[in-house]
Order: sequence, then structure tokens, then C-alpha cells
Amino acid sequence: MKHTTNRQNKKYQLTIGWLYPDLMNIYGDRGNVIVLEKRCKDRGINVTVREIGVGSTEKDLQSCDLLMMGGAQDMQQEIVAKDLQKKKKAFAQMIEDGVPGLYICGGFQYLGQYYKTADGTKLPQLGVLDMYTENPGRERLIGNIAVELSPELGITGTIVGFENHGGRTILGKSIKPLGKVLKGYGSNDSAQEEGAVYKNSIGTYFHGPILPKNPMIADWLIEKALEKKYGEKVMLTPLDDSLAASAREAILARM
Amino acid sequence: MMQILIILGKCVSRMSQLIGKGSGSTWPGYIVLSMYPRFIARLHRMNPQTQIVFVSGTNGKTTTSMLLSSMLTSHGKKIFYNQSGANLMNGMASGFLNASRIDGKISYDFLIFEVDENVLPLMLKEVMPAYIICLNLFRDQLDRYGELMTIAKKWQTSFAKLNDVQIVLNGDDPLVAWLGLGIEKPIYFGLPVSQMQKSEIIHGADSTYCPRCESKLEYKKVSYSHVGDWHCPSCGLNRPTPTYAFKPFTSELSGLYNQYNMAAAATVAKRIGATDSEISDALMKVHPAFGRQEKVQKDGKEIQIILSKNPTGTNQSIETVLSLSKHPRVLFVLNDRIPDGTDVSWIWDTNMEQYINSFAEVLVSGDRVYDMALRIQYAGCEARVFPSLEEAIETGVKNTPKGETFYILPTYSAMLDVRKIITGRSIL
Repeated sequence: MKHTTNRQNKKYQLTIGWLYPDLMNIYGDRGNVIVLEKRCKDRGINVTVREIGVGSTEKDLQSCDLLMMGGAQDMQQEIVAKDLQKKKKAFAQMIEDGVPGLYICGGFQYLGQYYKTADGTKLPQLGVLDMYTENPGRERLIGNIAVELSPELGITGTIVGFENHGGRTILGKSIKPLGKVLKGYGSNDSAQEEGAVYKNSIGTYFHGPILPKNPMIADWLIEKALEKKYGEKVMLTPLDDSLAASAREAILARM
Repeated sequence: MMQILIILGKCVSRMSQLIGKGSGSTWPGYIVLSMYPRFIARLHRMNPQTQIVFVSGTNGKTTTSMLLSSMLTSHGKKIFYNQSGANLMNGMASGFLNASRIDGKISYDFLIFEVDENVLPLMLKEVMPAYIICLNLFRDQLDRYGELMTIAKKWQTSFAKLNDVQIVLNGDDPLVAWLGLGIEKPIYFGLPVSQMQKSEIIHGADSTYCPRCESKLEYKKVSYSHVGDWHCPSCGLNRPTPTYAFKPFTSELSGLYNQYNMAAAATVAKRIGATDSEISDALMKVHPAFGRQEKVQKDGKEIQIILSKNPTGTNQSIETVLSLSKHPRVLFVLNDRIPDGTDVSWIWDTNMEQYINSFAEVLVSGDRVYDMALRIQYAGCEARVFPSLEEAIETGVKNTPKGETFYILPTYSAMLDVRKIITGRSIL
């Protein structure tokens, strides 16, 4: 993509915080960071990707304008949960303050109140979002998924991706879903809803990863991050997303 | 009973070859197993003199089986191995069928089977092999297989129940090497540290935390992905020294990953009694297994097909292509059928950014052609998009100058499609 003509008029800078890249990275979640970074660069936004890992401080975390956290395997998730305990307060505050973030699968579940494992153990989570996750020990929800975005987001359209999760997430009253499931499972077996939006944070089971085929979500996050940082309304210059549109259509036609 | 099944199975096998539906490597097995589920175990019991070798792991099963077969043949043994790479239960039953005579006698010294990593524990309930080679564990087909640690733990549990089975482990892969802790007298293979070229782990490496104590592993040298000279600074678990030391291997097979496949095969061959010269003689004669660096001619040009089905495999394929050609013309074919895994998110874990500027031209095709095109676009290059695989191959061949090679990197089912288009015949 060469978008040198698409530069923003104003010189902006963003720091993307990639949470636990060597641990929470199971389903190509890195693609989300690649997309955010490139879509900033293509608009002339000065962008830095900062890796927040085991041993990083609260201060490191607070230096970020936009966060991304992926999913993980069980062993890795345990390591992360242990380390995040030390940064929990700052992390929760950032979400409450409206620092935009994208949280996938395990990262999404972690924002809720608790995670109930198949054997009934309740593991407390970050507790920022009014939701909880249960793993009933039944079949995993796996496959292509299509979702119509919630109007609350301020953008419209159908997003497509791939889901693969054993946990079922149930939203409380004070939190909105990311969208309505058109095809596939979504956050749980019954509600026909997928993901969650809280302030400027998006949680979802979409991997695949979510952003390459659904660039409107990437731009929503970038826009929110710039608006928060610079305290002004930001209009991102459009990029050529015809390949992403073709990729979405190809999957939708098959579903 | 057994005889009727064998005759029936062999008829099905012959028929499927005759009607051109492939070489009969899964169907016959499916039929005999559905009539008699213990078929494999029974046939093995009837032939106790025949030793079985299982080759498992994410990448390199087919090639390692082929290599071991060649080395043991050179050592004077009679070998049967499953050339088609059908590595589930049906494929194994078909293999046993093909290896046995009509009366149920097997006249081979060794049967070598590649075994799907998820099926290995199940297979070990049916058949007791003499050797199990564990090549590596990388992320692959997460939609079906789940997590690496889960697979490793399943292996660990099933290995603990075995007696008199020689387990052969890749010591350079921490998760595989860790399995040696609970096993009596495992043997290890690996590469000499001098052959490891990288100094640090790149993205997409899977097992970079200690499987025993969960601390971050440290590496003095890295071969590729998480394979290298590793140790845990916290609990002291470290890379075991390879049981046999080999010099770098010479053969037609390129790429560091093939050095590992050769080390695995050579380690078992040596344990069985093959000499160094028998091993190197065998290596001089081997050709790539189908679809694994396989070379084919079309319209006077050379095409090389290199199976690329997961992030580590694809990175290794690309590095191999770049070692053969400075500015290659490449076609990526991405399918999402059951044998490929229906989840294509893995393409984002490849290190495409690192290689993209070296390509003369990138073509993309397959069921998920637009997903692949997007991956290439975000890596910084415009791919030529071909919804039709025939057209992609035709264009790539046409654009390749005489004397140069056109490289095709397909997923598994895509590789079968590519071969069918080029050779006009299917293999499975």
C-alpha cells in the first residue's frame, strides 16, 4: 500500500502498547499490530510499537496511547495473569480513562469479573468490564463468523473473522456487545451477540486476526487514540481497502 | 477373517489406482478399519519380527520417513514406508495392507510410518513401535489441534506407559526435549551449535518459556523458531547433548530444517547399526518427497513446490527459497480446507516483512486468495491476485525466465491441487 498522498495535515504521534507479544500471540494476533502500525504510517502518523511484557512497569504501560492484547495458550495465560497483578491498577485506570484498546479472546476474558473453569473454579479477573466468562467444558466454538456492528460504535457494517474459544462470555447490563451475530456463534451459545465495547475498549473473540479484513475497526481505534491524546476531533484520511472488502465478500459468500 | 479383509482392502486399493482416484493410501484403510477396528494391531501381532518406526511432530514427518527408509535400505534392511504421507489411522491401516502379502505375512524388516501428532497417543494403543521419533512441536492447525502444551502432555502420558520403545527426541526443541525427563534412556538428536546461525528468537516462536518451571528460556544460539541451544536460567533445564554427533549433511535437500530431518533419521539409522558411510551414501541418492522441495518441469521451465502449512514451516520455506535464488518469483497458495486447518490466521505469524523485498514478484491464489493478498500488502508489497490457480501457475511459469525456477509455496490441500494441475494426476 502506497499512500504517501494520504498524509494527515497535522503531525501526530502514537505509541501502540502490545501486551505480552511473546505470550499472548496464539492466533496471528500480531496481525492486529501490523495493521495498526501500517495504517498510521500510511497517513504519516509517527508510530511506535512498544512491547509490554513480563517485568515491564506500570509507567511503561502508561506511556502507551493504544493497547492490544491477544489470546494465549493456558500455560502462557497463567504467566501473564501473575505478571499483570503488578500492573493491574494502572491498566484498569487506563481503560476507565478511555485509552483505546483491542482485546482478543483470552485478553478479552481477562477484562471481566471472573473466569469460571470447567471444574467450577472461579478465577478473579481484572474486573473492569461488567461481564464474566464460563467454560462449561463443552465443545469449543470454532469457525468463520460474521457480525453486524452495534450502532453505538458510530460505524456501520459487517465484520468477518474466525472464532475459536471454549469460554462463553456473558455481558452485564452496563456494557454493549460489539455487534449482532449474523453467522457463527459469538461470545456465548445463546445471545447471538459477539464481543463487547466499553468506553474506547473493544473486546472480541475474533481472531484471524480481526483488523486486516475489518480495517474500519482499526481506524476507529486510531481515531479514538488521537482524539484522546490531542483533545480534538480527528478525521482520518481514507486508504484503499478494496482487498479487505474482497476478502470479506469472499467469506460471506461462502457462509 | 484377516485374509478376507486383506484381499478386500487390496482390491479397493487397486481399484482406486485404476480409476485414477489416487494411489489408494486412505480409502482401503478406512474400509478395513470400519469392518474390523483392531485390524492394525492384529496384523502386527501376526508379524512380530517386523519392527515399526513412528515419525511424529509438526514439520518434517514425510521427509524424515523417506530419509530413514533410504538409510536403512542402504544398511541392507527391507523397508516399507508410507510414501503418500497419509498419516491418520486410515493411512496407517492402508500402509499395513500394502505391506502385507495376501496371507497376512509381512516380509519387511521395518515399517516406517509418519504419525499425525494428535493421533500418536491413539496409535500407541494399537501398535507398539520399536522407535518413536519426535521431530518438533510448532503451532499448526489450532482449530483442530489446540495447544502445543496439551499435545506435549498427551505424548508424555502415553510415553510413560510404554516398555521397550526407543524414544528419539529433538533436543534442540525445548518442549520435545522436556519429554525426555520422564522416559527411560531417551536418545536425542540435534545440530551442532556451529550450524545454528541466528542469535535471537524471532516472533512466532512458540515454546520460549521453560516447560518445567515457566521461566523465560535463554538462547546462546538459535536455528529457527524456538529450536536452538537453549537453557532455563531459573531451574537449569537445558539442551541435551545430541547422542550422536554428525558433520553437516550433504544432500539434494536444502534448508536448515532438513538438516534436522537428516539428523533425526541418521540418529535412528545409527542406533540400528548403519555406518556413517551407509548414511552418507543414502543421502547422496535421496530426492525430495512429493511437494517438499519437489522439482517439476512445465513448458521448459522448472517449478519447485515447497509445502508451507504453518508459520515456522513457511518461514523456513522462504529462507530456503532465498538461499537458492536471490530474487525469486513466488506463488503462495492458501487453502482453508480440513487438511489445511480452517483457520488461516497463521499467515500473520509468518515473518513476511523480513523477506518481502527480496521477491522479484509475488503471486497469490487459493481458496483464501484475498487473505493472502492482504498479508502480502501489509508486509509492504502488492501481490498479483489469482482466484484461479491454473491461471496463477500459467502466469508464473510464463513470467519466469528460462533457466530460472518458479517457486510455489502451497498449504497441504493446495499442494495436492498444484501437483494435479502440473502433472495431471492426483496422489491421494
